Amino acid sequence: MIEEPYRWVEAIANRREYIETQLAPGSPIAALGYRDGILFLTVGRTRQKLFEIYDRIAMGGIGHPGDIERLRMAAIELASTEGFTRSAADVSLRRLVHYSLSPVMKSAFEQVYGAPYLARMLFAEVGQRPSEDLFLRVEYDGEIATNGATYGQARQDFAVLSGTPQSRELMEAFLKSQHAPDASFEVALNSALDAWSIGHMSLQASDANGLPERAAISKYRQEQLAGRGIEAALLERDASMAIRYRSLSDTELRPLINE
Amino acid sequence: MERSPVAFDQNSSGAAGDFPALLRRKGLLSPAIIGPTPQAGSPQKTWQPTEATTILAFKFSGGVLVAGDRRATAGNTVVYDRADKVLEIDRHSIMAIAGVPATAWEMARVLEHSFQYFRRTQLQEMSVDGKVRALSKLLRDNFGFVMQGVGVVVPIFATYDSHPNPEAHLYFYDAMGAQFEATDYAATGSGSPAVRGILYYENNWGAKPLHKMSEDEAVSIALRALDTAAESDTSTGGVDRSGKIYPLMKIVSGEGITTLPEDKIAAVFKETVA
Repeated sequence: MIEEPYRWVEAIANRREYIETQLAPGSPIAALGYRDGILFLTVGRTRQKLFEIYDRIAMGGIGHPGDIERLRMAAIELASTEGFTRSAADVSLRRLVHYSLSPVMKSAFEQVYGAPYLARMLFAEVGQRPSEDLFLRVEYDGEIATNGATYGQARQDFAVLSGTPQSRELMEAFLKSQHAPDASFEVALNSALDAWSIGHMSLQASDANGLPERAAISKYRQEQLAGRGIEAALLERDASMAIRYRSLSDTELRPLINE
Repeated sequence: MERSPVAFDQNSSGAAGDFPALLRRKGLLSPAIIGPTPQAGSPQKTWQPTEATTILAFKFSGGVLVAGDRRATAGNTVVYDRADKVLEIDRHSIMAIAGVPATAWEMARVLEHSFQYFRRTQLQEMSVDGKVRALSKLLRDNFGFVMQGVGVVVPIFATYDSHPNPEAHLYFYDAMGAQFEATDYAATGSGSPAVRGILYYENNWGAKPLHKMSEDEAVSIALRALDTAAESDTSTGGVDRSGKIYPLMKIVSGEGITTLPEDKIAAVFKETVA
């Protein structure tokens, strides 16, 4: 039994360490806002990691497939019932994550006799303009990180997710210097692939510091793409369609990649 | 252990990806109210529901043309002259409605969300058979209202199937939910006897069968059929030239759904009907 507060804190710390270790090999996901929408991208071998949630909302996740599935299903249920009883315009990613998913994930994490969610997720909602795009990263403990211009943090038109904080920070540093919201699709696609490569390199060699050389990124990217498939999805900005999500196939992306 | 207000038991009740089941679980779907049916000789009904009238659909060379007049009535009162009875459900499906719009529009909304919910949760498109059955089930669930004399809906469902053979399909239903696949054409609503007569005649003895017609020819036949229905049926709106109100027409084909612009319908009307 855990009666003393100290023992509880210890149990939580152990649990955090355990989950971080479980999530560490997770292949990175990058989401980039560009001129005509938001591009989600990852490179993988088998399991689908990018999903449609609602008309303007998409999700990417790493972690245990069973946990990702439960959270994905919950997000779709909440969005669909809201969209049905009110309207599609009332479905908001901010409310979905802040009021529904985060509290559930936090209580699962802190109830030390139950299982926590082994999942880290990245959500995006496409806006009318790039400045209205919303990105939210949700951690296994319910913690939320946003791209919003709050508390002096510069607004970013991208968000990333990876297995380790170090890998994520390198990807963010890269995109901060390389990516602009008015980029074309091709440019965004190549930036996303580079960001993925940087994140993935960092997961393989965790002792490396700072961003790798340009040539090293290209070489690594080429090697990885030879044996893996690109998984990508779009949230289109075009307001003439209700459903903005579209998944992109590896074969339609390959010709657009700079070698 | 009850872990959250979020329902995670999506596979424990009903089929996976069943949106009406989700709504029922959350108490968001109005259940069919089965009450006493009006008895013969009971006092005169004082309230009459708003009803929409004539819809038709037929296969032509470019897919399926679905058309509906714009009038909604309650008893002998015209309630609305710009009602939309031809509704897009998804990128390849149209539901056209004759009957009570309050029920029909809600059904269309449930149906639209059902298809999307299925695709999003199950990560595959619902089959055409599944879609046709989904509407059938909604009609069946609504039968309590029909028995009470309110809420009868008799829809037409047109969709394009890309597997295994790319082909347009056309179905009509009765109020209890039986589905019938139409080979050439379908029409329901109070003005439908006249429309069926015209479509039958055109298909068999006209200049060419319906499925060989061009888009303009198809629009012309649809306009003539609705105009004929409006001639004898007061509930059917037909064409209001002074108010510039034309029937609503949509086409389902392999490319998706196109809504015919009003000026195009007006031009065909002027040339071949008026």
